[in-house]
This record gives sequence, structure tokens and C-alpha cells, in this order.
Amino acid sequence: MNIRKGGKVTSESKLRGINGRIGKSALFAIALALASATSLAAADGTLVIAVNQEPQDLAAQGVYKEINAPGLRNVIETLIAADPVSGKFRGVLSTYWDVVDDQTIRMDLRQGVNFHDGTPFNAESAAASINFVWSADNAFTIQEYGGPGTITATPTGDYSIEVVSSEPDPLLEFRLSLNGISSMKQVQDNPASHFDTPIGTGPYKFIEWVPGQYWRAEFNSDWWGLSHDDVYGTATPSFAELRFVFRPEDGARSAMAQSGEAQLAMFPSPDDCAAAEDSDDLKCVTGPSDTYLYGRLDHSLYAPEVLRDPRVREAIFLAIDVQSLTEVIGLASVPQGQLGPLGTIGFNPDVMAYPYDPDRAMALLSEAKSGGTDVDAVRVEVVGRDTTPQISTIVEAIGGMLNSVGIATDVKVQVPQAFNPRVRIAGYASEPGRQMMQVHVRQNPAGDFGITLLANYACPDEDNPTGPSRSSVYCDRQFDEQLFAALASVGQARDEALQALVKYVHDRHLVVPLALLDRAYLIRSDLDFTFGPDHRIQAAYISKSE
Amino acid sequence: MSYLLRRFVHSLILLLVTVSFVFVAGRSIGDPALNILGVNATEQALETLRRNIGLNDPLLIQYLRFLGDVVRGDFGVSYRFGFSVMPAEALRDGLGKPVLPLVLQRLPATFFLAGVAMAMAFSLAILMGTAAAVWPRSAIDRLVSVLSLAGVSIVQFWLGLMLIVLFGVNLGWFPTTGYGGIEFVILPALTLAARPMGRIAQVVRSSMLDELAKPYVTAARAKGASEGRIVLVHSLKNAAIPIITITGDELSALLTGAILVETVFAWPGIGQLLIDSLNRGDLPMVQAGICVVATLVIAVNFFVDVAYTLLDPKIRLKGAGP
Repeated sequence: MNIRKGGKVTSESKLRGINGRIGKSALFAIALALASATSLAAADGTLVIAVNQEPQDLAAQGVYKEINAPGLRNVIETLIAADPVSGKFRGVLSTYWDVVDDQTIRMDLRQGVNFHDGTPFNAESAAASINFVWSADNAFTIQEYGGPGTITATPTGDYSIEVVSSEPDPLLEFRLSLNGISSMKQVQDNPASHFDTPIGTGPYKFIEWVPGQYWRAEFNSDWWGLSHDDVYGTATPSFAELRFVFRPEDGARSAMAQSGEAQLAMFPSPDDCAAAEDSDDLKCVTGPSDTYLYGRLDHSLYAPEVLRDPRVREAIFLAIDVQSLTEVIGLASVPQGQLGPLGTIGFNPDVMAYPYDPDRAMALLSEAKSGGTDVDAVRVEVVGRDTTPQISTIVEAIGGMLNSVGIATDVKVQVPQAFNPRVRIAGYASEPGRQMMQVHVRQNPAGDFGITLLANYACPDEDNPTGPSRSSVYCDRQFDEQLFAALASVGQARDEALQALVKYVHDRHLVVPLALLDRAYLIRSDLDFTFGPDHRIQAAYISKSE
Repeated sequence: MSYLLRRFVHSLILLLVTVSFVFVAGRSIGDPALNILGVNATEQALETLRRNIGLNDPLLIQYLRFLGDVVRGDFGVSYRFGFSVMPAEALRDGLGKPVLPLVLQRLPATFFLAGVAMAMAFSLAILMGTAAAVWPRSAIDRLVSVLSLAGVSIVQFWLGLMLIVLFGVNLGWFPTTGYGGIEFVILPALTLAARPMGRIAQVVRSSMLDELAKPYVTAARAKGASEGRIVLVHSLKNAAIPIITITGDELSALLTGAILVETVFAWPGIGQLLIDSLNRGDLPMVQAGICVVATLVIAVNFFVDVAYTLLDPKIRLKGAGP
């Protein structure tokens, strides 16, 4: 199989086309210099962005998970990335790539690019960066999106590499879109600084991180993107400096935008978003994300007998008014029937959100009781994690809905330290007989149901608590067999196989998908901001309004 | 043994009790190895870590080792800052950052906030309390009573948000949140000052009323001393002991109250760090933070005792015994 990807006409290919025509080359070089000078002149002022948390670190691998390191993509770039508008992969530091087979991708790399420390970006540094990030020895958190095999890269020329997965991996291309590329010299000379002083190739150079306050970066006038409008569109950085200020409190972030101290504030409350409608200085922009909200019931393995009755589980799910919940959450969240948005590989158009049908729920409970199930023993512990926005309201609403059909509940919101262990297989095994419904969020940046199904429904391996199915409480060997066959397939076959599995698990009433969450931003009216499903804040997509 | 020496020994004992409590609390919230490595850790990794850091030793040995580490200022490395490797591997290469420097780094911001808040609270309280005592049962007295009661009763979190909305967003006089020049400290300091201002003002009023009713004040007036001199020089000095006592208490409370205010105003002090570390389960950071705050509170109380002896030699003499 040889699938051609990328292949946009790049400036390098244009250059090759005019190779030898010195006069035109000279003119082109002058044009590039002018373009750079114009961009440099246009980049002024500081863009202040109020973000919801301080990063754990600023290691290059962190670009895969924007929520943990907001803004890092302005400094660290990837080889390929999802386009913020179309969602399709486009080249960034790679100009062209071939998916040779389900284990191999060959890439041509952009030439004339330097890291912020002055060292050249080439095949050697790109391969070293890939090998560093995916190395099992380093065990970076990015490996939660690791594939079935080990990913390694080898230079095949000065500006070409071959990336290989040791096992067939249909999502290898996706995984490379997560992989931040940073200076090889830094990793070799001063690996500790890699964690708090990122050195990449991006439009902004990291300057400093002041703990508890902000991190900031300055415009990189040597950025290769100033002369390559095929990657970032026509946008060029408008600001001389970026400052990401840490404001965990929703109200504090909104206040900064309202007072003009910040031009952009992440994730305001629905009320602040609505209030922006009446403001001349602010606007609230929202858009769908790849984050979904779901309720997962303990239903097998260590669950009590009563929750193993599918009628009881279905009754619990039918008693939840998903539409009302999305109204509670606000920001136009979409009621959801499956754990991923339309367009995701494996999305099944026939699987809809559970209808709100309390009468049917009560009928199912009566039927189960008549059949000998001890329905009176049901007491669902509805638990959320305090880092999920509006989680208290959500779990209380679910608790009330279940109560209204006669199901007893305990409602809790726990800190991550208490919550996280409970939702993993090891924690579940340590609480046999519990009846917990975890109400939680999860991202699906892959655009593919494979990772989602593996994480939520595959048999967990209790001897491998770092395994990809560590959060699953379900075990069905028949399902696993079909899932692993689907994971090894590609194209239409993969889509169809995953669709069938999405329907399979839905019909067993294991997890209740609740909503696909929109994300919102408060923005000063004089800014234009384009973001994609991954909601990364990249200054190249933020411009001053005309 | 002199009074101050005994007070110093008492302070050390109190500190030891606090550190011991931190040790016990750290062991009570679960397996430290699991807290360090996280829920993803294999039993083998957990066991290796338990062995490496001595968790398999008898509790007494662990306690003595913990005390030794605390004395050396070694609270371990942060579970959060400095690495992004998976928790099971986090400590393998010693990539974590020692927590004590990270905690101490936040102290100047907390001191700055607490200092400005106390200066605001103390000066306003002296002014208000004295005015109320000089004109008892007047409109001023009633206003001071209302303000001081409001200061004591008001919820800091709410007050902080209201100040942000009024002075930050609507009037634009001060930055809403953050850290920087003097303009950044006004709103959080005002929020933090409300409670001590109220309590100190009440004590000042009460003490000054007592002093102003004493015979030496009548004598001073009879001798023709000005009212200002009587109030500011004679009475206020004699009313100082209870005022210093309450101010010392409030200074300790300011350090702990700063935890909430720092969170509301994104003030990068030790309180914000503690809350953040608690939320993220960074136990070494929490332990170091609590020990540092406890040490400060104990030190403040000790220095308040020192101030008593300077102001009132009777205390020193009583403490010296027969």
C-alpha cells in the first residue's frame, strides 16, 4: 500500500521549479526578505492570554495535550498537524510524507529551519527528537496515545526520515501529529532544561516561566513560516510577545478579559459568555471540541449482581435527561449518543443519545424485579472530579433524575487524588460490590474510535495498570477479539468494523454518553481567533481585526 | 531559665508537634509509595520504591529519618514540577525538583501581601478605634462599630470577588488579579485586611475607653495637656499591650488567611502553591508548605512575646519566678 499524503505545493518545490534561474531566485529572495521585514514590523504589543492552569512542565512532548501546556505550540512545532479548519493533516516541519505501509511512514523535511538555539533542524535532529519522545526509557505521558508497537525514526538523507512502528499501526500518522520536535543539542547537553525551557522552531521563542504567574515568549523574526504561507495560511504573528498568565479561577480569567488586562480568556462560565453578548468590547466564541462527557457505571467484573442485569443499567440510563443536562452545562453542548463526534472513524449514525423515558425506566426496573433481580439493592454513587467544569451541578442533576424513578443515590465530587485511583481497574478491584457511576470527561484527539473503545471497553489487565485499558471495567472476550481485528484494519474496513463495535457496546448499556462539550473563549472585540477541534491557542491564528 | 528562653523552648516543642503531625497526616492519607508513583504503578515498582525510600522500615525509624530530613531542609522532590514522565518512572532519574526552594521562592510574595495588609489593617484600626473611643456613642462610634463588625464577619472570598468587579472591571482603577507593582497588591491586601482591621479596631476602642477613663488622664487634663497628646502619647501607649496581643494573633491569621485570598487574586504566594499542590496531590510540596507556614506562625507568636516583655517588664519579672 502506498498512500500519498500531503503533497501541497510548497515553497521548496516552487524553488526547485525555478532552480537555475538566478534572476528569479534573487527576486524571490528579496520578496522573502521583504515579507519577513513586513511581518516583523507588524508584530507589536503583547498578547495576554488567561489560561486555566499552570503547566506541569514545558517539555516538547507536552504539545500533544494542549490542556496541560496551553500555548506551547507557539514555541514547539510538530512534523505534521491537524488543520484547525478542515481537521485534516497538513505538513508543518514535514513538507511531504508517504504512508508506505501500516508500519512505515517516510517524510521529507522542511529545509532552512533552525531551532531557537541556532542549531539546524534536519533529519538527524528530527529523528533524535522522535526517538526521545517515544522512547520507553523516558516514559513520557504522550505514551498514553502510543500505538501497539515501538515508534522509532531513522534518517534516510539530510532532510528525510523513515518512521517505523514495530507493530502494524494504522494510527501512526496521527501519533506523529502529537510529537513535538525540539532541539537535539539541548536534550544531549542539558536534558533537565528540556522540562522548563523549551527550544523549538516555532514563531515564538520561549523567554521565561515565572512560577505561579505566567510564561512568556517573544516573536521569532527568523521563523521559517514567515515565508511559507502554505502552512499557516496567510496569517503571520501579529504580536511581539505572548504572555500566558495562569488563572485557575473562572471568574478571575473572565475579569481579566472584561477589564482589558487579557485579550483572550480560556473557558469562561456560560454566564460570562452570555454577558459578552451585551458588550462592545468583548465577544465569546465557542466551538465543538473533541472532549466528551460521559457516565460510566460499574456494571461487570467486581460490580454487584444487580448491576449486571442489563435492564437495570438501561433503566438507569433512560432516567437521565441528557438534553436537560446539556442545557445545564451550557455553551451549546451537544447531547451525545456515542463517545466521539460525527466525522470520527467508527462513528455510527444509528446510535443516538438515550431518550429520556422515566416511565420506561420504571417499567424496566419492575420487570427486573419480577425476574428475581434485587432492584431494591440499587444505590448508585454518582461521582465527579472537581476539575470538571460545573461538575457539582451535573452530578446533583443526575442524582435527582435517578431519584425521580426510585433509584437511591449518593452524590459526590472528589479531588483528583481520591477520584483517579477509583476509576482505574486497580481501584475498582479494591472496592468490590460498589455501584459507582463516574461522571467524567475524556478527549478523543485521534478522530478514531479505536483508542476510545480500547480505553473504555476492552478487558483490563490487572497486572498491567499502565495498560491502555486501565480505565475499563468491562470484559468481553468476543468484543476484544473483534476490536483487535478492527484496530489492525484500515480505511473503509476499519470504519465499518468500529461502527459495529460502537453499536455492540451501546446495546449492552455499559456507558451513557452525555454530551460533546463545546469550548468557549472570551476575546476582545479587536481580535480574530481561529481554533480547531483540538482548541490549541496558536498566535499565528490570532490576528488584529481590520 | 529566663522567660524568653522558656518561650523559645515552648516554640520548639510546638514546632516538633506540628512536624510530627505532618508526618502522621502524610502516612494517614494512603500508601506514600502509591501517592508518589501514582495509580499506574506496578506492584513491583511500588515495592522497589518502598524499599528504596525506607517505607518497609519500622514506623519509628521512618519518623526519625523524616525529622532528620526536615532539620536538613530536605522535604523530597515535587511530584508535579520538573518532569512529565509517567508517574511510575518519575523518580527514577532524579528529575524532580526539591520542594523547599520552590516553597521558599513563594515567601516574598506572601510576606509582601501580608505586610501591606497588616499595615492597612493596623493603621485603619488605630484610627477608627481611637476615634470611636474619643467620641463614644457618637455617629463616628456607630460607624466604626458597623465597619469593624462587617470586617470581621464578611466572607473573604466574596469580598475579593466584589472588589475585583467594582475596582478592577467596572472602574478599572486596579488590575483584577496578578502580581507586580504596588497597584497589584491593593485589592488583595484590602480583602485580607478586612478581618484584622475589624478585630483590632474593636480592641483599640475598648482599650482606649478604659485608658481615657483612668485618673492619670484626668490629671493630665488638669495640668493642661492637649487632648491630642493625652490620646496619642499617654493613652495609646498604655493601651498597647492588648493591641499588640491581638495584632500578633491577627498576623498569624493573616498568613493562613492569605491562602484563600492568594487563590482568588492569583497571587503567587505560598497559599496559592499550597492549594494548587493539594489539588494535584503533590504531598512533599504540601508537607513543606505546612511546615514553613507553621514555622512562621510560631516565630510570629514568639516575637510577639518578645514585644510584650519590652513593653511591659512585669511580664518578664513574673516569668522569672520568685
